[in-house]
Amino acid sequence: MHRIVLKDKSNLLVTNFMSILLKFSPNFKRALQQRMETQLEAMLLEAKGAWADAEKAYACLLEDNPLDQVVHKRKVAMAKAQGNLSAAVDFLNKYLEIFMADHDAWRELAEIYVSLQMYKQAAFCYEELILSQLTVPLYHLAYAEASGLLLTSAHILKVLYTMGGLENLQAAKKYYAATINLTGGKNARALYGVCLCSVAINQLIKGRNKEEKESSELQSLAAEALLKDYKHKSPGKLPVLTTMLKNMKLIS
Amino acid sequence: MGAECRYEVAQAAYIKLVLHALKHCCSPVGGLLVGRLSDDDASTVQIGDAIPLTHSQIGLLPSLELALIQVEEHFGAEGLNVVGYYQANERYDDTELGNAAKKIGDHIFRYFPRAALLLLDNKRLEELLKGKGRDLAVQLYTRDSSKGWRQAGLDGSSQLTIKEPSANVLLLDYVSSEKWHDIVDFDDHLDDISKCIFQT
Repeated sequence: MHRIVLKDKSNLLVTNFMSILLKFSPNFKRALQQRMETQLEAMLLEAKGAWADAEKAYACLLEDNPLDQVVHKRKVAMAKAQGNLSAAVDFLNKYLEIFMADHDAWRELAEIYVSLQMYKQAAFCYEELILSQLTVPLYHLAYAEASGLLLTSAHILKVLYTMGGLENLQAAKKYYAATINLTGGKNARALYGVCLCSVAINQLIKGRNKEEKESSELQSLAAEALLKDYKHKSPGKLPVLTTMLKNMKLIS
Repeated sequence: MGAECRYEVAQAAYIKLVLHALKHCCSPVGGLLVGRLSDDDASTVQIGDAIPLTHSQIGLLPSLELALIQVEEHFGAEGLNVVGYYQANERYDDTELGNAAKKIGDHIFRYFPRAALLLLDNKRLEELLKGKGRDLAVQLYTRDSSKGWRQAGLDGSSQLTIKEPSANVLLLDYVSSEKWHDIVDFDDHLDDISKCIFQT
């Protein structure tokens, strides 16, 4: 609610400002019209696949207005469409230096990094996302929860798990645990995540100092929660799940 | 080893993987291939079924591990195991197999040395859907002696065949009735465990 009201206010402000400008400066109106035409033309070229021409048009637009978000994003989209992922990464990074609150851009960059198997960089992007979403006031946590936060956590977890290594796995397990908390233990991915992390961690620390061994309470609880869930919603798969959890030594 | 091997894919597997790709037409999709060695001819692998896995980022591990365990458990009783992996790329003109798929292929190869990778051929699929093409809309990749994945059939040989010749006809029928809505992959299952990935 809060965010939408602000946006309306700012639109109102922009409209008022624009109408004043238009009244006093016919040149401004012409310049604006021209810019919109050029932008539309450039987008048409892009849609047709005339990459070189579209690029020229966008470069022109950016020269006049280096803070044009739409044009910046078109550049990224074009690079991606041509399969030039390293250029897309480059453009996105430059864009995010200016517009660092753009969640979608962070997400997009993270996805490209994952596809390039640059997991560390992807994790960084997801962390930025989580941090920026955590600054949302508390009474919006429900909204954030439902939309962005969970999804982001899920991704960062997968990245951490894929990267492996004890620290990353322990971090992943903590994030999974937080997700279980947030979702009241109903999120199957998070429950599985805790189980998988525990198994991987235990394998890594085999033979190490026994004090370092993770408390097995969290993973057995997660395993039990999974069993309960499956019994309730997917009983046909219960035997498979039970065998799997037994093999992972999470249940007896 | 892969070079002498032939692969016969069943209609059910082929159609499922194409429908999976069509359901999530703007994302990369991937899934497991299940099958066995042919009883009659030990150099032929029969790919009996396809289990859709994911329609989000391919390179990330946890769901893959979980899915492998569950699929092996489920099909083990029928004497089937995981024999390969299929993938459809996000972009229309991306015809490369990609490192993530190769890694998954390597992993499966450790347990099944005749493992196969199938990559959806977007151009052939488009022709099929327009009613023009006749070929199977997938490319076969097998593991060669240098531990890399090699595209089969470049020399004109047909290592990949389909059991039922009318598969493409049936596929078109399913496409027109939008059957892809029924496809459930492991990602869907994790979001809602009441959805089952083992259906025909």
